[in-house]
Amino acid sequence: MRSVWRSIEAELRAIFADPQVRSIILASLVIYALIYPLPYRAELLRDVPVVLVDLDRTTTSAELARRVDASEPVTVSADARDMAQAVRMVQERLAYGVLLIPEGFERELLRGRQSPVALYADASYFLMYQRVMQGAAVPLRQMGAEVELGRLIASGSSYVVAQAQVSPAIQVEVPLFNPVAGYATYVLPAAFVLILQQTMLMGLALVATRRSAGGGHPVWLVLGRMGAWVALYALLLPLYLIVLPFLYGLPNLGRVDAVLAIGLPFILATGLLAQCVAALFRTADVVQVVLLALGLPFFFLSGFAWPVEAIPPALNVLAQFVPSTPAIDGFVRVSQMGAQLPDVAPTLWHLWALVAAFGVACVVIETRRLNRAASLNPTPDISEPAPEQR
Amino acid sequence: MWRLMLREFRLLLRRPVLAGLVVLLPVLMIAVLIGIFRAGIPVGMAVAVVDLDHSDLSRSVSRMLDAAPELQVTHQARSLSEARALIVSGAVRGAIWLPPDFERDIARGDRPEIVTFYDNQHMSAGSMVARGARNAIDTALAGLRVSIRQGQGEAPVQAQVALQPIPLQAHALFNPAFDYVHFLLAALVPTVSQIIAAAGTAYAISLDFAPGRHPQVLVRMAGGLLPALLGKILPYTLMFLLILGLSDVALYGWLGVPLRGSLLLMAAGALLFVLAAQLIGAVAFVLTRDMGTAASIIAVITAPAFGFMGLGFPREAMSPLAQLWGAMIPGTWYVELRIDQSLRATPVEISIWPVLWLALITVGLAALALAQLARMRRTLEVGA
Repeated sequence: MRSVWRSIEAELRAIFADPQVRSIILASLVIYALIYPLPYRAELLRDVPVVLVDLDRTTTSAELARRVDASEPVTVSADARDMAQAVRMVQERLAYGVLLIPEGFERELLRGRQSPVALYADASYFLMYQRVMQGAAVPLRQMGAEVELGRLIASGSSYVVAQAQVSPAIQVEVPLFNPVAGYATYVLPAAFVLILQQTMLMGLALVATRRSAGGGHPVWLVLGRMGAWVALYALLLPLYLIVLPFLYGLPNLGRVDAVLAIGLPFILATGLLAQCVAALFRTADVVQVVLLALGLPFFFLSGFAWPVEAIPPALNVLAQFVPSTPAIDGFVRVSQMGAQLPDVAPTLWHLWALVAAFGVACVVIETRRLNRAASLNPTPDISEPAPEQR
Repeated sequence: MWRLMLREFRLLLRRPVLAGLVVLLPVLMIAVLIGIFRAGIPVGMAVAVVDLDHSDLSRSVSRMLDAAPELQVTHQARSLSEARALIVSGAVRGAIWLPPDFERDIARGDRPEIVTFYDNQHMSAGSMVARGARNAIDTALAGLRVSIRQGQGEAPVQAQVALQPIPLQAHALFNPAFDYVHFLLAALVPTVSQIIAAAGTAYAISLDFAPGRHPQVLVRMAGGLLPALLGKILPYTLMFLLILGLSDVALYGWLGVPLRGSLLLMAAGALLFVLAAQLIGAVAFVLTRDMGTAASIIAVITAPAFGFMGLGFPREAMSPLAQLWGAMIPGTWYVELRIDQSLRATPVEISIWPVLWLALITVGLAALALAQLARMRRTLEVGA
C-alpha cells in the first residue's frame, strides 16, 4: 500500500514540477478553449449569396427570384447577364450559387407545360451547397405546388380535393437534439473530448519519458499513477466537459454522475495509453510530434464528424483502440442527447476493456524497465533521481 | 549551403527517428486519411420505422425508405418512445413515423402527416437521413399522385409531367460527382502536412541549435545566416514536397479528383506553403530554443487550423477575429488555392491572390527567423 502512495506522490510531483508538462496540461486548457471554438462561434449560416441569371425577365420569374431571396438560407445578392459572368462571381467567392431562369419560363407555365429552372450550387464547400439547395428548393416546390393547385382548380376540382391531389400527405421533419443545426453545438462537444485526450496524452507521456526507474512492484507503481491521474482529472475533466460547454452556451442534458461514470475509465485508459506511447517512442520530443500529428486522424476516426458507416472496417477496428472513439460517442450521447447510463453501457464496457488491456501492457513495460535497470545497476540507488538533462 | 544540405541528408540516413518523423509519419497519416474518406459518400444509415398503420401503403412506404441508398431500415419500433430510445443509444440515426389510419386518410383526402425524426447532433449522418427519407417519401407520394390522376383518366406520361410544373434541375457546381473525397481530402492532406512540416523542421533544427549544440559551426560552414537557415530547411522542403506530390498523385490520379487549373500555380503554392509551414516550426524553435515549448506553440497554431480553413463551417460566416487568425495560417491560403485550381478551374488572375498571401507569410516568417538567428549569433559570439 505504501508503494502505491509513493507512486501517486511521485507522479503528481512529476506533473507539477515540470514546467512543460504543466503548460501542456493546464495552460493549453485556456488556450485551446479560446482558439478551437473561434471559427464556429457564429453557429448558423444565413443568407448565403446567390447570383440570379434571369433570362426570362417576366413578372413570374421576378416573383420566383423574390421568393428565393426571402428564404432564410440564401439571399439573391446580384444579377448577372449570363452564366459565364455568374460563374466568375462564384469563382471570386462573391456568391455560392447561381439561379438560372431560362427564357420562356413564364410562357411555358402559362401553356400548362413543365418549365424547369436550373440551380447551380457551389459543391466545393459542403455546407454552402446544402444551404443553397435548401434555400432555393423549398420556395420552388411551393411555387410549383401553387401552380399545380391553380391548374386543378381551373379544371374544375374543389380546393380540398385539389390540395389532396397535389400533396396527399404532409411531410414533417423533426431534427432532434440540435434543432437549429448549430455548428458549434455539433462540433464542440466532440472537440473538447479530443482536446482533453490529446493534452493528457502529451503531458503524461512526457512525464513517462522523463521518469527514472522507481522502486516497488510494477502493479503498485501503475496503480499509484492511475490514482494520481484520477485525482488531477477529477478537477480538469468537469472543466472541459461541463464548464466549457456551459460557457459556450451549448445545450446540456447530461447528468453529472453519468459524465463522471464515463470519465473515470476514459481518464484511466488515456493515461495508460500515454505510458505505452512513451515506451514506444522513448524521447519527449518525438512523442510530442507524433501525438500532434495524430490528433486530426483520431477525430475523423472516431466516427463523430464522418459517419462510422463510411469508414473502412479495418480502420474502424484500429479506431476502437483509441479512447476518444468510444468516449466522444458516450459523452455526446449523455450530454447532448440525454442518454442514461444503460443507454451507453457498450461505451462503458469498451472503455473498461481498454483500461484492462493498456493496464496489462503498462505492467509488462514497467517490469521490463525494472529488470533492465536492475541488470544495469545491481545496487539500486535509492537517492532522489537527478533531473534528466534535456 | 550545398555542403550543409548534403550533411542534412546524411543526418537523415543516420538517424532513424528523424527519418521516421519527417517521412514515415506524414506518409502514414495521409494514408489513413485517404483510407477514411475513400468510400466517398456514406450510405446505409440505420433507421427505424414506426408503422402504426400496417397497411399495404405504409408497408410500401417502408420498403421505399429501405430502398433509398442513404437509408437502411434496421428496426421496426412499436412507439415513438421506443424509436427515441433507439436513436439515443445509437442503434439508429433516425425514425420515420407513419400514423394510424394512414392509408384510409390518404384515400379520403385527409392529408395525414408523415414525420421524420433524425439525430441532428451527429449532423453529417442526420442530414443524410433527412435527405434520404425526404426523397423516398417524395417518390412514394409522387407514385400515389400519378395513380390518382390516372384513376381520373389521364395518360401516365401526362400525369407525370403535371406533377411538377417547375422541376428543379440541380447541378453541383465544380464537383459534379459530389464526392467528399474531393473537398475534404483537399484540405486534410495540407492540414496534416502543415503540422508535420512545422514540427519536423523544429525537431531537425533543435538537433543543431538546442542549448549545448554549436550553431556557429553551421553558420561558418554555410558562410552566412541565410545560407545556414536555407541549408538546414531546404532538404526537408524537398522531402515534404515529394510526399505532398505523391499524395497528389494518389488524389488526382488514383482517386480521380479533377485537376482543372494551372499546375504551375499549384506548384508555386505548394512550395510557398511548405516553406511557410516549416518556418513556423523554425521560428517557434529559435525563439524559445526549447523543443517542448516550440512544440506547444506549433500545436496552438497548427492543430486547430483545420477549422479556420472553412471547409466545414465557411470562413465568410466566421467572426472577423477568426477570419484574421485563419488568414495568418499558411494552410488556409494553400487549401483555397488547391480548391480553386483543382475543382473550380478559377482563372489565374483571381487565384494569384492566395499565392501572394502565402508569399507574404513566408517572407514575414523568414525575416523573423533571420532576425532571431542574428541575435542568437551575437550573444553566442559575445559569450565565446
